[in-house]
Amino acid sequence: MKNIHMKIYIILMFASGIFQLSVFNISWEYFRIIQATHIVSSAFIAVFLLVPYVNLHTYEYMIVKKAKSASGIILGFLLFLIVLSGFYLFIVGNPGSDVLGIVSYYTHLYISFVLFFVLFLHAKKKMTATVAILAISLSIINPSSLQASKTSSKLSNIILEDGVNRYHNNDWTNSAKCKSCHNDIFNQWADSNHRNLVGTNPYYMVMENLAAQDKGEGFRKWCMGCHNPSAVTTKQTKTSHMMAGNNMPNILFESGATSLVEELKLHGNSGLEEGVSCITCHRITKTDSNGNSSYSLDLTNRKKYALEDSSSPTMKWLSEKFINSNPITHKQSYSNPIYKKSSYCASCHDEFLPDSKKEIVSTFAEWEKSPFNNPKDPNKHKACIDCHMTNLSDGKFSPLKGRSTTGGTIKDDVKVHYFSGANHFLSGLKNKTNEDQTIQLLKTSAKLSLDFKDGKLNVSVKNVGAGHHLPTGVSDFRELWLDITLKDANNKIVYSSGKLKKDGNLAKDARPFMKVFGDENSKPVGLFFWRYKKLLSDTRIPAGETRVETHIINDAKSLAYPLSVQVKLNFRIYPQWVTSTVQKAYPQLPNPPVITLEEINLDIPLRK
Amino acid sequence: MSYFLKVGVFLFVLLFSVSLLLPHKARKIYDDNELRQMVLARGLASTPKNKAELFKLHKNDVNKLSYAKIKLGKELFFNKNLSKGKDVSCSTCHSMSKDLNVKTLYSNMLTSKTNDANDCVICHLSDQSGTDRLLSSLGSQGTPHPFSLNTQSILNTSLAKYLTWEGNVKSVEEQARLSIISPHKLNLSEDELIKRMTADKKYKKLFLNAFEKINLQNTSLALGAYVKTLITRSAYDEFLDGNNSAISQEAKNGLSNFVRFGCNGCHAGITVGGQSIQKFPVRAYNSIMDVTNSFQNDGREVGSFGFNDGVAHSFPFENKGGYMGKEGKQLFRVPILRNVTKTSPYFHNGSVKKLRDVVFLMARHQVGMSLTNQQTDEIIAFLKSLEGDIVEFNIKNGDI
Repeated sequence: MKNIHMKIYIILMFASGIFQLSVFNISWEYFRIIQATHIVSSAFIAVFLLVPYVNLHTYEYMIVKKAKSASGIILGFLLFLIVLSGFYLFIVGNPGSDVLGIVSYYTHLYISFVLFFVLFLHAKKKMTATVAILAISLSIINPSSLQASKTSSKLSNIILEDGVNRYHNNDWTNSAKCKSCHNDIFNQWADSNHRNLVGTNPYYMVMENLAAQDKGEGFRKWCMGCHNPSAVTTKQTKTSHMMAGNNMPNILFESGATSLVEELKLHGNSGLEEGVSCITCHRITKTDSNGNSSYSLDLTNRKKYALEDSSSPTMKWLSEKFINSNPITHKQSYSNPIYKKSSYCASCHDEFLPDSKKEIVSTFAEWEKSPFNNPKDPNKHKACIDCHMTNLSDGKFSPLKGRSTTGGTIKDDVKVHYFSGANHFLSGLKNKTNEDQTIQLLKTSAKLSLDFKDGKLNVSVKNVGAGHHLPTGVSDFRELWLDITLKDANNKIVYSSGKLKKDGNLAKDARPFMKVFGDENSKPVGLFFWRYKKLLSDTRIPAGETRVETHIINDAKSLAYPLSVQVKLNFRIYPQWVTSTVQKAYPQLPNPPVITLEEINLDIPLRK
Repeated sequence: MSYFLKVGVFLFVLLFSVSLLLPHKARKIYDDNELRQMVLARGLASTPKNKAELFKLHKNDVNKLSYAKIKLGKELFFNKNLSKGKDVSCSTCHSMSKDLNVKTLYSNMLTSKTNDANDCVICHLSDQSGTDRLLSSLGSQGTPHPFSLNTQSILNTSLAKYLTWEGNVKSVEEQARLSIISPHKLNLSEDELIKRMTADKKYKKLFLNAFEKINLQNTSLALGAYVKTLITRSAYDEFLDGNNSAISQEAKNGLSNFVRFGCNGCHAGITVGGQSIQKFPVRAYNSIMDVTNSFQNDGREVGSFGFNDGVAHSFPFENKGGYMGKEGKQLFRVPILRNVTKTSPYFHNGSVKKLRDVVFLMARHQVGMSLTNQQTDEIIAFLKSLEGDIVEFNIKNGDI
């Protein structure tokens, strides 16, 4: 092996290494190939050529010829450091928190310059000309940026920023792919409501089919814009579900999105993951609150490392190593400053009727007007993620200290992906942790107080914890009500309100905090909420406000005192009649439980 | 030096001659009328839009259409008494509702007091697809199909030359007879059939209106007559009948692709399929790999290659049930593509769920092409234009 060959190898490795530096700002398409080439070829050269050569060279000159070369010894030492750090980066990587990883990264980076310098000192002939030619020949041109196109559709306002007409299955990435490095976050999401928006959500499936029957097949797009972005952008016309043999698998109790993991193993990226996947949210570039699903997506311009889409296990392993050795680009391409703002969530959490533009859900609009939106005072300002993506323990927000990536940096407040909101039920069927987080959050929302005067029982409910109405979201399908039991001295119930009937429905005397939609004839719309024309009632509690419910107790004076009163603030995610309808299509669906958010007991000893 | 010159000249001549072999004609873009003429000239045709056209189509049938037969056939089609266990009817597998005018089937079933529908029917009945959407069919008393074969749609089958997966049946009447007596279908013997129908006054009367006596032969003739009225009409038919704006430009490109790539060679005729028996797969390549490797189509990947280390199969998907087609030679009746968008899952055992994957496999194994994303999109747009509702012919007494 000639010396010159070795020098060329080293120069090539050095060149392909430094081109990855951000100062060169080379286009991603070149970057990923250069990175992959650098890593794979360097590993090959180091093991098969460089190390054997250095051994022979050292033996020949230091032992046989007894030559003394300080630069040679330094060069050998530096080479050792570089090879070691390189292999460390390749095999273990530099995901953030690993000190050896960070040391390896900087060693590999800076020592390579020193090594290059020492190489010149050590060489007999100067190679300035060679280097100059090499540098000039590697001038890189960046391709021009792409233009954005705008789709204007009333049902869905998704804009594909990359200017394409539609996406194909391969443009989407199965979320299970993210699991290998973001295991905890993946598992949180897998049993959360954001994962279970389509095929695993029986309520949604029934409603989408009902909407299609009522308003035509095309109307599905109105639902799918937010519930099923991957299907809408790949021009699927309806949401589909999984099959296992001749049966529908019982996806209600599947934890950890195992079917998704299996799907990735079986079909790679060609099988489309329906619903809101990791990259749906993490590739949104812009949002507004001016219509349904009014967000912009950019899937095709994301910076994928070499072999990232490969289906072969070896290639997949390699691609993970490429990411891990220098993950900054990966991180940047899936994060965006807007992700921390509340307006990011607005594009889906404000819903409008497509024709009349009437508001169906206005969670973001409610937050905007609430005291939680206080940008002038950062201590009082609370964005969506401050409650819904913050870890709870013992009923209090306790930011999770830990990692979001395997081996990543330790963060003080890992944004958890349980997406706790109100729906403890569907996520709770799969995972108790998810359910627990949501119930804890629900219990922070309201405070009860109670007084009894002149035969009147006044119960006030204050919305203390929610930066939006209580309840919000599809509050026509939410039940939040007061369960009141008044007993006399003989423990006999003398007054009650808000009990469940035998069939599970809420009794007529209950006063749920909700809004009721009516059609043009002022009849309640029931399940057909898209028929909404007139608001029949709105008894929800805005953020920070109190609603007082007065119950008149007849013959209060003649009762046997002391009285004892128990008031519960109860919550049920879906009314029984809704669940009963859905159970026609999904018989395996259990009934959602009633959750008591607050309970207050009062003894009334004297006649007042 | 002269050596290099010779090599250079050789390479030039070689490349030049190869370039002559490459196609250099620009792709022909058909305008709407040319496309229609080209398609009609190749035997594709539109379905009847009224009863006069339907009767004309069946003018020379052995089983003459009559109002009484159709009326009886329709009653029989939805009658569960036609199965041994009294649990399934023809319409259980060839899923459709009796009254095509009811547009609120789904909400009716959601709110009905009784619930005799299984999970699939409640959502898929309103599709009116003529198939149960299961992977493989289930007969009376839950008997599975011995080869795990997928139920094909009954719609438009009266216009096909061959029926069933292997194409051994030539008429809907014959198939009706076989479906009644097959042990894995309705599983009803002729004696039992006659006994049950004679006992039922309503059916006895209907039978005697249409025929001289109650027997298996007449039952299948009546069912056959009814099945002949199960015809769908789609946007594609409107286009063939002269309405240029009936289908999108993408679907027109798809139709053009469909013909240019030779798909219509097998998926031929008024039914777009069902007219011949062909081998599948025609091309096995190196060997047909497991479904795991079949759908990889990584357009943008730089270094995507896989090793042929999967399990070899007779089909580019798992052959659950072990069915090998007619005479075990992988010969199949070409499926009807009308309403193909409503009849997933696909292939003889329902192994492939998505239409896009089917188009990919058919192009690869049958016509030997690897389609671009755009070509696939266009073909799927065309297949969507084949989707249509059952025509309501409103045949009345005295029409025929």
